[in-house]
Amino acid sequence: MNKLHRGSWSIALVCVVLGFMISMQVKATQDKRDTVSYQRVEELSDRLLAAEQERDKLKEQLLQGANGEGTASETLRMQAELVPLTGEGVIVRLDDSTKAVKTGENPNLYVIHDDDLLRVINELRAAGAEAISINGQRLTATSEIRCAGPTLSVNNVRSSAPFEIHAIGDKKSLENSLKMRGGVAETLKVWGIQLDITTSDEVYVPPYKGSFKSTYAKATEERSEKGEEK
Amino acid sequence: MILPILGLAVGLILGYYFPFLIPIAYAKLSSVALLACLDSVFGGLRAGVNGRFANKVFISGFFINALFAAFLVYIGDHLGIDLYYVALLVFGFRIFKNLAILRRHFLKRNKAESRAE
Repeated sequence: MNKLHRGSWSIALVCVVLGFMISMQVKATQDKRDTVSYQRVEELSDRLLAAEQERDKLKEQLLQGANGEGTASETLRMQAELVPLTGEGVIVRLDDSTKAVKTGENPNLYVIHDDDLLRVINELRAAGAEAISINGQRLTATSEIRCAGPTLSVNNVRSSAPFEIHAIGDKKSLENSLKMRGGVAETLKVWGIQLDITTSDEVYVPPYKGSFKSTYAKATEERSEKGEEK
Repeated sequence: MILPILGLAVGLILGYYFPFLIPIAYAKLSSVALLACLDSVFGGLRAGVNGRFANKVFISGFFINALFAAFLVYIGDHLGIDLYYVALLVFGFRIFKNLAILRRHFLKRNKAESRAE
């Protein structure tokens, strides 16, 4: 036993190292457990990336296939708003009012709403606009224009003021449709909403980038709509 | 006997508050090294109770065993031989053997003491 006591300092030293290593090991093992979920996240994000790449590739293939089918499909795609377009038209910029809100007045009146934009769009369409986009979102037959909190949702993509509407069509009639007496521009100006119309010979309208889904609608033969709701 | 336990406690606390973490890639190596250290400590205790304790052998065995075990496992990993399990088996076996010897020694001593009474 005497010899053991003589060596007990060295044993103590070794025990310090041993304890150190044990607690490091315990920490490392716990750390490993924690990172399992992290690794899972990484794996999932990798998969997502791969899926996205595949989707892009397929989309490209689809576009190429559609391109290959000649002029008939080109017109179809133009009508389906899948082709970027350019031509003469107007660019309308709308921004919230700079007027100070009077006490007791509804501040909402000084902010652009979906119905303001809808009126502008409707006016432009009535004046023969062939393609319209809002903040880079192409308006399709199923596009919505809706307030989403303080932002505006078009094609389920949100954007906020200022709004820039690109419209291709006869630039004169488009401009006049908005500027006519008692028209949209005048009513909006009452509230101080800034509406700025520029005509251009080269207005660019981007294509629709979303997908087409038809869950409920099915193609059928043409028939009268009467007697449908029995 | 107090000194080693105190040392162990100090080491545990030190390791707990040490800001560095062993990377997961090396957790395997460090676990083998740890096992080698445990083996050395039990070996040292056994040598002590047998009266054959040598400081130099103990200290050198402790560090070199640990380092060498980790190194061997590392090499084995690169060669495609899983020496990890071999080290696990050998060190584990030796630890249990030493424990058994220690237990017998203390049992024997207890017997001798009770007889002396």
